[in-house]
Amino acid sequence: MAFSSIEFLLFFLPIFFILYGLTPNRYKNITLLEGSIVFYTLGELRYLPLLAVSVVVNYFVGRFLGAGVDDKNKSKNKVKGGNKSKNGRNYEAWYREANRREWRKAVLFFALMGNLGTLLVFKSAVAEKALPLGLSFYTFQIVSYLIDVHRRDVPAERSFVKFATYIIMFPKLISGPIVNYGEVSEALDNRRMSWRNVQHGLKLFTLGLAAKVLLADRMGYLWNDVQVRGFESISTPLAWLGALAFSLNIYFDFYGYSLMAMGLGRMMGFSLPDNFRTPYMARSVRDFYRRWHMTLGRWFCDYVYIPLGGNRRGELCTVRNLLIVWALTGLWHGGRGNFLLWGILLWALIVIERQVQTFLERHPVRGKSIGKRLLIVPHLYLWAVIPVTWMCFAITDVRELFVYLGRMFGAAPQYMVLRNDWLRALQTYGGLFAFSVFACTPFIRRVYRRFRDSMVMNVALAILFWICVWRIMAYGNNPFMYSGF
Amino acid sequence: MAGEKIAGSKTIDRQFSGGRRKRQTAADKMYPLLLVLFGCIWLTATDSWHVYTDSLQSGGKKFLSAISASVSLWDGGRSPVGAADADANLNTNFNIENMGDTDNSTGQQEGQPDGPQNGQSDGQGAGQEDEIGPEEQKGVSYQTVEDDYFADAVFIGDSRTVGLFEYGGLEEISTFYASTGLTVHKLFSSKIVPVPGQKQKITVEEALTQNQFAKVYLMIGINEMGTGTPESFLEKYAECVAHIQELQPDAIIYLQSIMCVTDERSAQGDYITNEGIHIRNEGIAAMADDERIFYLDVNQSVCDETGAMTAGYTYDGVHLKAQYIALWKDYLKCHAVALDVSP
Repeated sequence: MAFSSIEFLLFFLPIFFILYGLTPNRYKNITLLEGSIVFYTLGELRYLPLLAVSVVVNYFVGRFLGAGVDDKNKSKNKVKGGNKSKNGRNYEAWYREANRREWRKAVLFFALMGNLGTLLVFKSAVAEKALPLGLSFYTFQIVSYLIDVHRRDVPAERSFVKFATYIIMFPKLISGPIVNYGEVSEALDNRRMSWRNVQHGLKLFTLGLAAKVLLADRMGYLWNDVQVRGFESISTPLAWLGALAFSLNIYFDFYGYSLMAMGLGRMMGFSLPDNFRTPYMARSVRDFYRRWHMTLGRWFCDYVYIPLGGNRRGELCTVRNLLIVWALTGLWHGGRGNFLLWGILLWALIVIERQVQTFLERHPVRGKSIGKRLLIVPHLYLWAVIPVTWMCFAITDVRELFVYLGRMFGAAPQYMVLRNDWLRALQTYGGLFAFSVFACTPFIRRVYRRFRDSMVMNVALAILFWICVWRIMAYGNNPFMYSGF
Repeated sequence: MAGEKIAGSKTIDRQFSGGRRKRQTAADKMYPLLLVLFGCIWLTATDSWHVYTDSLQSGGKKFLSAISASVSLWDGGRSPVGAADADANLNTNFNIENMGDTDNSTGQQEGQPDGPQNGQSDGQGAGQEDEIGPEEQKGVSYQTVEDDYFADAVFIGDSRTVGLFEYGGLEEISTFYASTGLTVHKLFSSKIVPVPGQKQKITVEEALTQNQFAKVYLMIGINEMGTGTPESFLEKYAECVAHIQELQPDAIIYLQSIMCVTDERSAQGDYITNEGIHIRNEGIAAMADDERIFYLDVNQSVCDETGAMTAGYTYDGVHLKAQYIALWKDYLKCHAVALDVSP
């Protein structure tokens, strides 16, 4: 059940929040858990057992890994006692402790293999369509939880209800944001569903819904149209327009989803992390991916890049680590060749950018005024490069992908190309393009912040909400793109 | 590398709360109430409270089918962009009237896979069933013609005919009254025909009244599949054909079969199925009198041996890719009726 479906907007949303509001504070987690199970069941019944098994097993694994916290103190005492009496006992205690540590490592290892192995099996072996809903996201959350517990960054959760709620609470179950346990553990214990939170959350939700329904879906029509024509038959300008349309489509789709997730979380008193920070305003690919799907980037940074040594072991090692991270990022999106290609392409761009940056630092541009005027150049670079990388992301058939890239650069043979197809597309979508590009700037958010509590904004957003509902009723709802990953 | 540490709550606060505390005002608490209020007003004003009952019905059905067919891969809830209605991709003018149609569409399906679709694809055109085949197929003889044959022809249809218009190379030669999402129900009433030098478009009805053609090519019917039954569709279709004949008394009318979709698209689980298309095509074939009205089974040109559109010819399973539009056009060029032979 997508957030942008009639079932969710007109049924689940009001019914759930009324029930949730009526529940006494002590039992709110249980209501949330039940609501989330209903939510998942309505979306995908088949893989509910997988989710349930995953949560139960990992709860116990977490308990086992975390058990050391108490044990450590105990064993220390024992060691002390041993010192007093006999050396042999001391050794025995130390041995037991070492043994347990080995056990914990082994259990962690197998738990990670189990979780990630399941993900890998579904990503590669099974047909892409059969991927269990939300698997990639909740697996990564579980893995982050287990590692954090093992690292002693957070204590293992004692309450099963709280752990299960953390993993499957519906706002973030299907497509993130990937939340660290430490970020929400407090809110799981104690949070307030105030009127103000509800209102604020609903407004974020409305903004997200509008981004999804009014921008992303309509942009998607152009991309769909380009695909329907067939890549051999589009002119080069249309190929670029198509790539631009997809870039905006996937941004507003995922950004809209993330805003909606944040809004729903906020309504209940959670602060879910933000996933986007105006990525298209970035000045380099590196920068772009610090602002795009930030929770995934953070996950790879915390659990892959830094453990590998990050950027502190020399340039060569950094380049290797980046390669590993980006290959895995590609793999995370799907086991297909194009995703790997996408990851590698981004890796290559980032490595080049690093070199260029080092070069520029050694040879600074003289005169500040020139430097300032040149600031547009990195933007242009980004806007040219990102659509190309998105095409590697969007077109899963590698042969077709090369046809498309060929069309973008006028290198592929063409059949039946209309000379002015892009003009027609611009006539139809020009206004939408203009507004979407405008919406990529931080301007709208600033306006929203400034007038958030004004009556005008309330009325405008309420109207916007129902316009979206009307549009969904008239045109049907499209699933979120990231629910497929 | 992507990913710097971000403290989630702080980021949100910084971005969306503006950083400064404000005095609580009445407006602070109004939003949820406004939302409900506007919803009530809007649902009443447009008389769409039925969305609640409709969704419950279709949602219940969907849920039940998901339980019963939990082995099957896809429950239609996650169809790709644009699949929800085959033709929405170019249609940017919103229409309240649409709403009723699309609402119902999810629930209804033609679940009668009456066998005879096989007879369709191997015979020369129309189904030779006794009850529906009054026409003498053998009496019609076809000749091959050049593009100029279409100079006095008008093509009427939905998005697929738009594709023929764009990529058939007939743009300058023939007339096209085609629009994405066109249905038999709105065939004459929707304003889709541009008039040179005029901003306002006119309806097909007006256009057919003002201009006379020698040939009328009609292909329509895929967008109607979500609403009504094959019978109600065919009834309306027959009305449309009769009305075209009235407006264009001298024209030959070619009824093209509704083009099939790919097996994958047909199995996707919504209202578009090849079974449904075959049933409708049989009915359309029966309307041909082989004197002024002829049936053309264009599926012969684009389908594989199973009677579904060849998967390689299309991206979305419904519309031919630009480079394969020629197959359809060639079929039409090879199937121009030689009138002097017919009695």
